[in-house]
Amino acid sequence: MQVSFRACSLQDLTPGEGLRIDSVSPPIAVFLTEEGTVHAIDDTCTHQDASLAAGWVEDCRVECPLHESTFSLTTGEVDQPPAKKRVRVHSVQVQGDDVMVELSQEAPNLPPGVKA
Amino acid sequence: MIIDHLDEPLPGSSLLPTPTGDAYTDPDIFEKEQAEIFEKMWNCVLRSDSLPSPGHWKTVTVGREEIIVVRSRREGIKAYFNVCAHRGMRVCTAGEGKNKTLQCGYHAWTYALEGDLVAAPNLTSMPDVDRKQYGLKPVHVREWLGYVWVCLAEEPPNFEREVLGEVRTRFGEVESIDNYGIEHLRLGDTKTYDVAANWKLIIENFMECYHCATIHPELTEVIPEFADGLASQRKNGEVHGSSFGEEIQGFTVDGSASGVHQLPAIAPDQDRKYYAITVKPQVFINTVPDHVIIHRMFPVSESRTIVECDWLFLPEVVDKITSGELDVSKSVELFHRVNLQDFNACELTQPSMRSKAYSSGGALVPSEHHIQEFHAWWYRTLGFEQVAAAQQETEKAAV
Repeated sequence: MQVSFRACSLQDLTPGEGLRIDSVSPPIAVFLTEEGTVHAIDDTCTHQDASLAAGWVEDCRVECPLHESTFSLTTGEVDQPPAKKRVRVHSVQVQGDDVMVELSQEAPNLPPGVKA
Repeated sequence: MIIDHLDEPLPGSSLLPTPTGDAYTDPDIFEKEQAEIFEKMWNCVLRSDSLPSPGHWKTVTVGREEIIVVRSRREGIKAYFNVCAHRGMRVCTAGEGKNKTLQCGYHAWTYALEGDLVAAPNLTSMPDVDRKQYGLKPVHVREWLGYVWVCLAEEPPNFEREVLGEVRTRFGEVESIDNYGIEHLRLGDTKTYDVAANWKLIIENFMECYHCATIHPELTEVIPEFADGLASQRKNGEVHGSSFGEEIQGFTVDGSASGVHQLPAIAPDQDRKYYAITVKPQVFINTVPDHVIIHRMFPVSESRTIVECDWLFLPEVVDKITSGELDVSKSVELFHRVNLQDFNACELTQPSMRSKAYSSGGALVPSEHHIQEFHAWWYRTLGFEQVAAAQQETEKAAV
């Protein structure tokens, strides 16, 4: 039985930016979009070890800060190489100020050299 | 007008010496100028509005360094050395662009527009790496007159005192440069000149008008008093408003009306007058009632200087230029010709700087004596203490 955990507070988030949460392994990234929605995906790009929380958020997608692949914040799918595999999406519930995340049960798609 | 220089008793001292020819040709002296002048003082590098939105960047050369100037998302315009903190490759490899981050093309070290290191392969497994310390190395930035000014020194000279103060003092209390509202003007035209001459020849040329009646027929037609050889720039750094001729209707290539509205806040004294000042080490500001001309110099070598010249007009004038309702080419053409005439003279002077016949330097006539203030500054800044000038006098006497 998977239970949700408190990933961060809404106050910790900046619109248009991501926050890396490394208390879980592999780490996740929580995003607050300019439109006000909150999303959580795996933080590590599936192509090479890079933190997606540091990426550029636009139109509910995040662009990996290293190369040009972008990932959907809602489905995790990738739009273009060099990344080929999607990231996992975790379900988010905002309860008051708390951002509660329930981790996906899928196996993560981690890049070479990165272990969960 | 009062020709005050000539009223002074100057027995036996009509001519003052210039620096020796090698000051204009020696690569070691040029390197010293880059280190002690251009890399320590404030340099006016580009127009703020040439970086219209966050992510727009340009590279500029200041002294021996390449600098990235970028409009950031959160902190306005920022500037950095174009050197990756990792292994040193150029981060930006073109003259300009627009990007969400500044990324080195070698190992993909990636910097925020605000300069911090935000990403790099495997960076998450190196939590001890300080994102600021390994960010892009910043340089000091100021914005003034609609331009971005940068200073590469760790401790920059006081901008208010060294730049603003100097300019305002020279324009005087009444004839303040502020009246021209230069920061609100926009670019009507711009031209780049690649001049095969030492930067000091260009400054010296700009400071005097002894040459005006000979090489600037159009300018002397518009400002007949230039035929007396006295420039707008005078001794003790004073600036004199040079009057348009009686028949002249505008600061245009043929003296006809410019069709351009006068700048709204200029003082009565500033009407029908031309003012010019040098902001050391690389800016010239020229003002007339309906536009402002700004030169920025970028010394490339001891014998080559790039000069960028901008013609600035009121925003409504620039809108009309863009829509084709107004033609300002007659206004632009006047100083464009002056530039070509001046730079041609400088290019024909540069080769002689190596000549035996100029090894002990040349001479300044009384209407050029104020150029010695520039030379005194130059000797002092390079730590030469004008010993060179004294020696040169002695050498001349000995010949």
